[in-house]
Amino acid sequence: MIRTLNFVFMAITGLLCLGLYRIAENARVANSELRETRAAIVREHEALTVLGAEWARLTQPARLQALAQRHLRLSDRPGVELSSLTQLPPKNPPLAPEAQFRDAKIVVPAPETAPIAPKATTAVPAASPKDPAFAALHTGT
Amino acid sequence: MDARPAALSLVRSRIALAALLCAAGFSVIAARLTEVMVFGVGAAGVATVAEPAHPMRADLVDRNGVLIARDLPVSDLYASPATFWDTNEASHALAQVTGAEEGHLEEAFAPKRGYVLVQRGLTPDARDAVMRLGLPGLTFEPNYKRYYPAGRIVAHAVGQVDPDDNGISGLELGLNDKVRGRADAAPITLSLDMRVQYVLEHEIDEAMKSFRAKAAGGIVLNVRTGEVLALSSRPDYEPNRHALGPGDSIRNRMTQDVYELGSIFKIFAFSEAVEESTIRLDEIFQVSSLKLGNHQIHDFERLGPYLSASMIFAESSNIGTAQIEMRSGPTRQKPFLRRLGLLDPLKTELPEVASPLYPRHWEWVEAATIGYGHGISVNPLSFVAAAASVVNGGTLLKPTFLKQDTTQVGERVVSESTSRTMRQLMRLVVTDGTGKKADVPGYDVGGKTGTAEKAENGTYAHHELISSFCGVFPISDPQFIVFIMLDEPHGNKESGGFATGGATAAPAVGKVIARVAPLLGVKRNDTFAAATP
Repeated sequence: MIRTLNFVFMAITGLLCLGLYRIAENARVANSELRETRAAIVREHEALTVLGAEWARLTQPARLQALAQRHLRLSDRPGVELSSLTQLPPKNPPLAPEAQFRDAKIVVPAPETAPIAPKATTAVPAASPKDPAFAALHTGT
Repeated sequence: MDARPAALSLVRSRIALAALLCAAGFSVIAARLTEVMVFGVGAAGVATVAEPAHPMRADLVDRNGVLIARDLPVSDLYASPATFWDTNEASHALAQVTGAEEGHLEEAFAPKRGYVLVQRGLTPDARDAVMRLGLPGLTFEPNYKRYYPAGRIVAHAVGQVDPDDNGISGLELGLNDKVRGRADAAPITLSLDMRVQYVLEHEIDEAMKSFRAKAAGGIVLNVRTGEVLALSSRPDYEPNRHALGPGDSIRNRMTQDVYELGSIFKIFAFSEAVEESTIRLDEIFQVSSLKLGNHQIHDFERLGPYLSASMIFAESSNIGTAQIEMRSGPTRQKPFLRRLGLLDPLKTELPEVASPLYPRHWEWVEAATIGYGHGISVNPLSFVAAAASVVNGGTLLKPTFLKQDTTQVGERVVSESTSRTMRQLMRLVVTDGTGKKADVPGYDVGGKTGTAEKAENGTYAHHELISSFCGVFPISDPQFIVFIMLDEPHGNKESGGFATGGATAAPAVGKVIARVAPLLGVKRNDTFAAATP
């Protein structure tokens, strides 16, 4: 009985040792990976820090102006030559003031069947709103 | 037969002892298993990243987020000379790669004992180069080094740190408590605008070169929020080096030096006179000569013999201004200047601020000369803050180097009406007076010129001038004030041989305004632009 128990205990001990070793090994590997990942994060963070400073150095206005003067054909135009949209001339100037457009009347040609024969020898009387010819010529508001 | 039970008892007791030992062993194993698997004790804390030797400082950025100062990771290199085969060879190799002095290393390595500092602040590239040497006994201690990407551009305002990352000058010192140990916090946003700073520095350099000035300085200030957008002082220095180069200076002339600023001080004499209604602007004064006791007051050029009060300001007549100031007298002038903050040390984030100098006995003659800017010395930043207080509607403005979102509402120093009148007078200076060269079409610049003779050995040196101009734009609704000062400028062909503020500093201010106004979103005056061919 004791021999059996000893065997069982020893087997359990062996299994536990194996299990413990496996867990410890997994933990060691995970720990190593974690350390590497953290170190990589620190390295990347440091690289970002350095690159940010480098970017700030490279985009200094003094450096950009020197480069622009050397490589581009841009003149150093002062800001006073900038203007606003309101200062631009209109592309198509209006033909008449807006008020005249509001009061415009549509001109309809007179029908050909009822031509108005001007009297060459006599003075043309002034058109009257009551005159049917005037009414035919002027419609609308 | 008696021996058998005794032997059996002995065996049993041994088995019991062995079982007890086994049980104890298993208990220990079980306890450890439980500890590791359930509570996880012992698993944590092994993967740690080495902390730097001291806390980092927070980044400093300008108002648009542009980096001004940052701690960069570097390494301090130490060596154990006992491990070197040949100390001279090691000294040579390390000196080549790190820039350390070879002779110093040879001397330090010679005893072949101890722990020797080879070089501080190695960049990652230099550290890799050292690693490639393959020398034994080298240790890299992680550290940080403050780096200023803009270099000289903003050196005086931002300042420097010592090798241990403690602020020793400028905002690095003034904001040390806010910056130090806050590496993980948000960056500190300053009021400075690097674009405006660059333009100011560029135009100051051009003016210095053109007029062969000994030194110069400039300030751009928001008259509503009190934010200093740019501050420049020449000569300057390289903040990334701890040693000064030839001709360099760490002296911030805009805050650390006090000057008799001359006629730009007339802004305050006229503000006081308008506020106290001691003059009418159309009132006529005799400006041909004035003698106060033994003191003869001169104008830079002969004016008059009669000038209106407004033209006295526009043409910058000392004789006229002295008469106007005499109407207020010393008893009213001194409290007025104190209200404007001109008689007390300026309080701002910059620690290097000089106190004003003014006469102990402030009588009538002193009042008259102080009226036109002689006999009182203030630092330029204090002057600019006081001038901004006059034109911003009349409330005291405290300059700040930290970004602000709201308009400052300070104590009232002059009425809104006086502020409006002063703006009209300052516009008159540019349209009809001594500051014509500061005009910028479309931006309605107002301002005041100043030309002061430098005091030397108790007298004034006629050919050593402090020439300055203080410009405000747009004058109808002021947003910014631009001040430029040249120390001992010399007239040139362009200035007609004159070295006055109107001939030297005023055009520089005009150029700064023309370049920064669009950057700062100040709209052109379209009415003016439409009238311009």
